[in-house]
Amino acid sequence: MTLGLPGHLARDSLSRALAFGGHCAAWVCLGIAVFIGLMGATEEADPVGWTTAALSALLGGILVLVARFPTVTLTLVYLVAGTGTVLALTVIVMDPAYGLRSTDNVVLALPRIALILVGGAGSGSLVAITWGVLGWALGEAATFLGVALAGGVWTPNIAAATALAILILVRAFDGLGRRTDARRETGLHRASQHTRELAIRHDYELRATARLHDTALSHLVAIAAAGSGPVDERLRLGIREDLSLIVGRDWAIDHASSDAGERALRQPDVPAGLACAAPDAGAPTLETAFAAAANVGLEVRMSGDLAVLGVLGPGRAAALDAAVAQCLVNVARHAGVREAEVAIGLSGGEVTVAVMDSGVGFDEGEVPEDRIGLRTSIRARIEQEDGTVRVWSTKGVGTTVVMAVPEGGE
Amino acid sequence: MSRMRLTQQEADPLGGITAAPLVAIGAALAFGFSIVLTIVHWSDVGRPLAAVIAIGLVGAAGVVAAVSTTPSRAPFASERLWLIVALAVAGAIAEYLSTIGANSSVYDDFGSIVVGTLILSVAPYCTWISLLLAGVISAAVLSFLVVGSASAIAVDVPIASLIALNSVAVLALAAAAAGYSAAVVDETLAWQREANRAALQRDAELRAGIARSVQQSRVSVLGREVLPFLAGVMTADRISVADADRARELAETLRHALKAGIESTWLDELAADLQPSGGVPIVIDDATGAADDLNDDQRSALTALLVWLGDGGRSAEIRVTFRTDPDRSGISIVAGHGSSPPTRRELDRFTAVARAVAMGAEATLAGENVKVELRHVAE
Repeated sequence: MTLGLPGHLARDSLSRALAFGGHCAAWVCLGIAVFIGLMGATEEADPVGWTTAALSALLGGILVLVARFPTVTLTLVYLVAGTGTVLALTVIVMDPAYGLRSTDNVVLALPRIALILVGGAGSGSLVAITWGVLGWALGEAATFLGVALAGGVWTPNIAAATALAILILVRAFDGLGRRTDARRETGLHRASQHTRELAIRHDYELRATARLHDTALSHLVAIAAAGSGPVDERLRLGIREDLSLIVGRDWAIDHASSDAGERALRQPDVPAGLACAAPDAGAPTLETAFAAAANVGLEVRMSGDLAVLGVLGPGRAAALDAAVAQCLVNVARHAGVREAEVAIGLSGGEVTVAVMDSGVGFDEGEVPEDRIGLRTSIRARIEQEDGTVRVWSTKGVGTTVVMAVPEGGE
Repeated sequence: MSRMRLTQQEADPLGGITAAPLVAIGAALAFGFSIVLTIVHWSDVGRPLAAVIAIGLVGAAGVVAAVSTTPSRAPFASERLWLIVALAVAGAIAEYLSTIGANSSVYDDFGSIVVGTLILSVAPYCTWISLLLAGVISAAVLSFLVVGSASAIAVDVPIASLIALNSVAVLALAAAAAGYSAAVVDETLAWQREANRAALQRDAELRAGIARSVQQSRVSVLGREVLPFLAGVMTADRISVADADRARELAETLRHALKAGIESTWLDELAADLQPSGGVPIVIDDATGAADDLNDDQRSALTALLVWLGDGGRSAEIRVTFRTDPDRSGISIVAGHGSSPPTRRELDRFTAVARAVAMGAEATLAGENVKVELRHVAE
């Protein structure tokens, strides 16, 4: 949701709203003119009452068309018809039988005001004021002519002049108010876009953080733990794969070939213990998780059917894969055992993966604040996919992490 | 929310703020009408005190309208509309009493036009339905006065016609107010629907662009130290003691950086974004990540305020503090004055916007800084 109208739309939108407000007032004036005509025709058997009602109703109908299709032609038609109506009504009501002293009376004010509130084609304050002044001038000219034809005293209609004054005041204020450019200065629309962008950026930062944690940090810790000595080939391959993930495969390959020159990267031995064969090519797998386990020398026993991953979108499957990978890395680092069990299943519209070990266990509350693997790489990642993570761990018995994500996803 | 329950002030807060001076003009106009028309029909006035009270009541209604629509008192509650209408109608009744039995024409009575003008003035702050209702109820009350005056009126017309003619001003102006209110809310909602649709469409490309930029920004951080180090190890035969020490050191630095990254919120991103462009240091003190609890509109309002404060030399530094104690939870924004500090009038624009998105807002301008206090209020 965005707040309010942006500056570039405010002019046209407010102009249309003001015109519609004017049309509503004009319809009320014409409606009351119709009512008075009908009252005269029915209560006092005055036949001109029908004429008054018919002309006012016709004018109201044309105004409906102007409101619906604000073209120059229809505006001019309305003004011409309105001028004719005012002329006819002046001739009718200035009959001495009605006892009206001058043209400054409420009955003639009704079509006059409706003529001023034409709204008209185009938008903007100046255009609206021009149409209003034209309506007022034509109305005044029509009453002048009507008096010349029917007799009576011509006096400018104060109510019509007041209506014109209010129209000019409101339109001028609207036009001048926009010049201060408060909308642009406040920048609400821009701020709304900005916050939306920040939310998306933050979401991606979180994902990038998770990826960074899984890659660079684990290698740095592995290097620090290894101490001096030959580079472990599994570590070397892991770094190569992860660097290619972070900055693109080309970079890692180029860097390796340019920096190391002829030094070829040797493939590590495939660790034993991966008891599960990969499913069909193209379907999601837990490839990252098994590779991570292999890198840290963890033997994984697998149960369940990996094909259930096929119900997940590629992004969701990858997030689950990465989270399982982090669980396995955690087992290798902290559980003090060299084997873990992974169970996978599909039920109730959710894919569930459980990672179990019989290691030293831990208390989640006692995990140091700066240990971010469980929080970021596992929990945040799964929760971003609308999934849940539950951890059961007992010291000396082992740990079970159950991750569940709903079917579908990106 | 449906358009029947929305006002322009809620749908387009800035439109509501911009209209505030027009209310004062409308109030002055109504007061002017009451004086001029009283003078015009002074020959009908039999009780001058009632005539003066009538003008006084119209003045009071105008003052209530002008004061209650100032941005510092936003949002405008519907009770205020009824208070204004009640005072103005009371003015019309007093006017009727002042000319009772001697009112030769209703054309020069001010009751109808004054009530209508005041209803029109507050159109940006009320729902169309309440404006229409106010007009119809006022017209009904004024009709009783016309019936009371009918015997003295010179022109011989049916009483129903007389009532209709007397009600024209209030009904027409109330219809104008209601029509404007409904149309502007419609226009705003239509734009919001359009904007939201466009925003959703844009999200995909935005996501792709941001994904790339985030990746690049991480790579640039890593690129400086970690990546060359890892690449070095990847291509080396042996890890030296120095390598292991360096790996430990980098891991520690990275871990702290990652922890800070996890605990940051969109507001930290905003501060980081604004600092290089405006050059104004922005400190965010939000230990519990409470910024994430703000909804989209509240985030927009806060973003607009911070962007504006950080721009044009308005501030030298900005500090945003989130308090989460149950008694005093809220957000405090303190901006030290820059070369051209903001004015109270400019700040009112932002506090009114904040109030429109269900936040309490108070701005204080002191000698050396500006303080804006925002807090959640129940919707």
